[in-house]
Amino acid sequence: MTETVLPFAILAYLLALLLCGVRLLRGPSAEDRVLALDTLYVVALALIAALSIALGHPFNFEGVLAIAMLGFVGTVAAALYLLRVKGGSNADVG
Amino acid sequence: MPMWADICVAVLLIVGALAALIGTWGMLRLPDFMTRLHAPTKAATLGAGCALAALALRFYFVEGGSSLRYLIPLGFVFVTAPVSAHMLARAWRARHPVTPKPDPAMPSASP
Amino acid sequence: MTLLTICLLPWCAALLLARLRSATAAFALAGACALVVLGLLGQMAQAVWAGQTLQSSVAWLPALGVSATLRIDALAWLFATLVSGIGALVILYARYYMDGDERLPRFFALLCAFMGAMLGVVLAGDLVLLAMFWELTSLASFLLIAFNAPDRGAVRGARAALAVTGMGGLALMAAVVMLGRAAGSFDLATVLAAGDVVRADPRYPWILTCFLLAVFSKSAQFPFQFWLARAMAAPTPVSAYLHSATLVKAGIFLLLRFYPVLGGTDAWFFAVSTAGAITLLLGGVAAVFQHDLKGLLAYSTVSHLGLITLLIGFSTPTAIVAAVFHVINHATFKASLFMAAGIVDHECGTRDLRNVNGMWRYMPLTGSLAIVAAAAMAGVPLLNGFLSKEMFFGEALALEGHDPIALLAPLAALLAGAAGVAYSARFVHDVFFNGAPINLPRTPHEPPLWMAAPVAVLVLLCLLVGLIPTPIIGAPLAAAAHAALGGSLPSYSLALWHGFNGPLAMSALALVSGVGIYAVLMRKRALHQRPLPDPWGYRQFERLLLTLARSGVVLVRQLRGDRMRLQMAVLALAAVLAAGWPLLGGGFEAHLPELTAAIPQGGIIVWVVGAVFAIAATSARNQPVTVLLFLGAVGLAVALAFAGLSAPDLSLTQLFVEVATVLLLLLALQRLPVEAPPVRSLGKRLRYAAIAVAGGGGTGWLAWEAMLRKPPAISDYQLANAVSGAGGTNAVNVIIVDFRGFDTLGEITVLAAAALIVWAFLARERAGVLGRFQGSFMLPTAVKIVMPFAALVAVHLYLRGHNLPGGGFVAGLLLAIGLVLEALALGSWRSPHARPVRWLAAGLGLALLTGAASLALGYPFLTSAFGHPVLPVLGEIPLASAALFDLGVLAVVVGATVMLILAFAFGREEGKK
Repeated sequence: MTETVLPFAILAYLLALLLCGVRLLRGPSAEDRVLALDTLYVVALALIAALSIALGHPFNFEGVLAIAMLGFVGTVAAALYLLRVKGGSNADVG
Repeated sequence: MPMWADICVAVLLIVGALAALIGTWGMLRLPDFMTRLHAPTKAATLGAGCALAALALRFYFVEGGSSLRYLIPLGFVFVTAPVSAHMLARAWRARHPVTPKPDPAMPSASP
Repeated sequence: MTLLTICLLPWCAALLLARLRSATAAFALAGACALVVLGLLGQMAQAVWAGQTLQSSVAWLPALGVSATLRIDALAWLFATLVSGIGALVILYARYYMDGDERLPRFFALLCAFMGAMLGVVLAGDLVLLAMFWELTSLASFLLIAFNAPDRGAVRGARAALAVTGMGGLALMAAVVMLGRAAGSFDLATVLAAGDVVRADPRYPWILTCFLLAVFSKSAQFPFQFWLARAMAAPTPVSAYLHSATLVKAGIFLLLRFYPVLGGTDAWFFAVSTAGAITLLLGGVAAVFQHDLKGLLAYSTVSHLGLITLLIGFSTPTAIVAAVFHVINHATFKASLFMAAGIVDHECGTRDLRNVNGMWRYMPLTGSLAIVAAAAMAGVPLLNGFLSKEMFFGEALALEGHDPIALLAPLAALLAGAAGVAYSARFVHDVFFNGAPINLPRTPHEPPLWMAAPVAVLVLLCLLVGLIPTPIIGAPLAAAAHAALGGSLPSYSLALWHGFNGPLAMSALALVSGVGIYAVLMRKRALHQRPLPDPWGYRQFERLLLTLARSGVVLVRQLRGDRMRLQMAVLALAAVLAAGWPLLGGGFEAHLPELTAAIPQGGIIVWVVGAVFAIAATSARNQPVTVLLFLGAVGLAVALAFAGLSAPDLSLTQLFVEVATVLLLLLALQRLPVEAPPVRSLGKRLRYAAIAVAGGGGTGWLAWEAMLRKPPAISDYQLANAVSGAGGTNAVNVIIVDFRGFDTLGEITVLAAAALIVWAFLARERAGVLGRFQGSFMLPTAVKIVMPFAALVAVHLYLRGHNLPGGGFVAGLLLAIGLVLEALALGSWRSPHARPVRWLAAGLGLALLTGAASLALGYPFLTSAFGHPVLPVLGEIPLASAALFDLGVLAVVVGATVMLILAFAFGREEGKK
């Protein structure tokens, strides 16, 4: 059952990855890009989890952990940065 | 692996994949930032959570109780995702003060 | 053993003297030191004169074939005796010259150190040791010349001396290394015996060039003569010592020492004799026109050194004998003359020849001593200077072969002889006669008896050698010349009278014409009105220094922070060149590997995403933040790709480094303008594009080549031995903390240093980029929940690092990023764990301790031990001492990362608590 579903799940995650990529490319605002990157991290995490099931070995559990944490750190830092540059009013930073 | 677990894993995977797809699709298609913020924060988080839960369940039958450690990133994502979204919303608000709009459904021009 | 004492005693005395306060005690100690050395040398005299060579050796750097060998033969003995003998007299003289000066102990300490360095040069039996002592003489002489330090002349003179002789020291080091290679050994005895091999070596011209550069700079040969004249800014005892027996004679000693090895060729003949002849004439003429008494003596020293060098350049056995003889004679009369000049200076308060006149009336004793010494310098018969000058004239006349020089040499010798007589005449006549003194600061009188005593001793030696040369100096001279020649001794005669011959005629002519020249120049004190001759060389030297300083300023201006683009371009180009050179030489194989085979199905999407963002990031239209976010995506894609290619270690490290970089850049961005300044000119754009293409393309090519090659055998070895050799299955970690632990230690030290530099640099900023975050409670709360888990994961990563992906580096990065997050959320350094300095110190300390522990147990530094003890509850635990080292790595990584990022984010404003 799982084996049948897995390829579709992985494909869906990869597709999600692509969609995130498109949003990241298109922007238009910096916040959009940060959001897209954050989502990219989350989807990548899910992808690795699915791959682990497919390979039958939790080969990159540390990677999963790291991605979960780093996505958050990156987003927070970027958000703080954007909060900070608000002084530039609507200056388009992204 | 018993049958019920197999089904559970499969369902989790399907739900997760669909949620991720929908979430990112929403992020791509929704009209302005605040609405775009909704989609991945909820759906994609659910997608990742489902995948991780599937992982934990799948390997429970391989390595026993220690597979519970796969739930750590799950909890992590569940705690951090709202905070990320919150921070982003604050950032957006700080740079784009709210102006009342007659028709919220109307796509706002990107700034 | 005795040799070791001779060599070390002055240094021990110098160390003691530096702590003394009492002038009397210092004098006693310094004098005793010199006398003991002299006595020990006297003990060896008979053996050495008989042609023996005494040697004592200790292994020093056996791996390089360098040993601390001391060696004494007759030549070294002669110079060592000069150094210590004249040293003893100078110490006695200085005791009274600097009477009442509280710096006297320091002066004696420096003098003893200098004596030690000179003895080291003379006695060194190993080339490397020789070069080291040579360097020490430069340093010690620098300190001695700069003794009156705040004084402008002293500082400038010392600077010139250090710059020139230091340059010479570098040249000598190069010469020594090449010579050692050419001769096959650094041992002096071996090298001396390998003359034929060295002269036939293809490196011979280089060796000779470097060697002569060193020698000429030290013994003030043209064009380096200027530093010696500037060095007279030193206190007079120092001048007496430096100019007569020691520093400048070190160069002569080396010339004589290596004459059997390097000498005898045409190159030697032309280079050495040309430099000697020019120096001889230049110094002689310049000396006549000096108004400073010490300046006159300084240039006469230059001239006499030129004479000795010229003699060595002649390369005939008798010329070498004459050179050795003149070294002795010059040392005696020049030391006494300097001391006499010092007495005059001391008693008159000035040494300007235009004011100091008619001293005969006030100090007849000093006067008579100085007149005898000056006569010796001029080469008046019955004095030692006459004998060696006679030999010099004889050599110049006997020269044959090399035509132009053979013709010019007697003429130059005659001219120099006349100049020598002229400046000696000026010294005698101008100081002791020539009317009455003018405007002296004080009334002169005879010095204390003990101050004149050293002069008297030296003058007596001049007389004795001049009258009865053979009994006094015959044996040591013969032995030393024999040692210098390295072969059989020629027949020569030290007798006073050789009958009427060419040299005698030249001597007489020189005497008459010298006195005549002086009389003509001095008529009606005309010489006093003449301006000083242009100190050729010194101005050029100053200009060179100035140019260097200016170009430094220009360089700094070019490399300053506001020339970011230039700096980056230079860095990138340097990297491209450094990497491209071997790459271009290696050839290029253009065949595509089967790409698809290596990548799991579907993974291609990850690669595509990465590639798209990499390309998008290069688009110049994007804002910096966008580029940064794109780079984040690229990093994630690369990490996923690594994971897909089953390289979890790389994947993890890539992720952490990526995030740390993005964090750092985000913070750095806040200091930059939001919009990058546009590059307008097409040329600039093209240039930057070229650099970018070269850099990026080159890196890609490098990666391509690396992927095509089979991994070298060392990785196989390391993979195979990871478990058996270090008890870990994670070969990457084992390599880092065990196999190449020493490299890692160096790397973490550099990392810590770099972090501290950034820290110190940013400390100048008043505030950091981020203010205190006064947002919602959500972020701090979330961080408080998440942090313990992050720490737990870090511990987990660290513990399993030796066997599975992870390890101190990755764990450290994770912990650091967690700490940074905590600090960002709490808004400042108030985060309780952000103590980067402590992390750094603890980490480095732990790493070093781990290394030292193995040292303490008798193993080489950083030897690791491992075992798998079975504990009651936890089961079998892989335990390696390298794990402790890894913990040190972890702490350093945490400290450095936190320090860098937080220094950027918050400055030091709040970190200073």
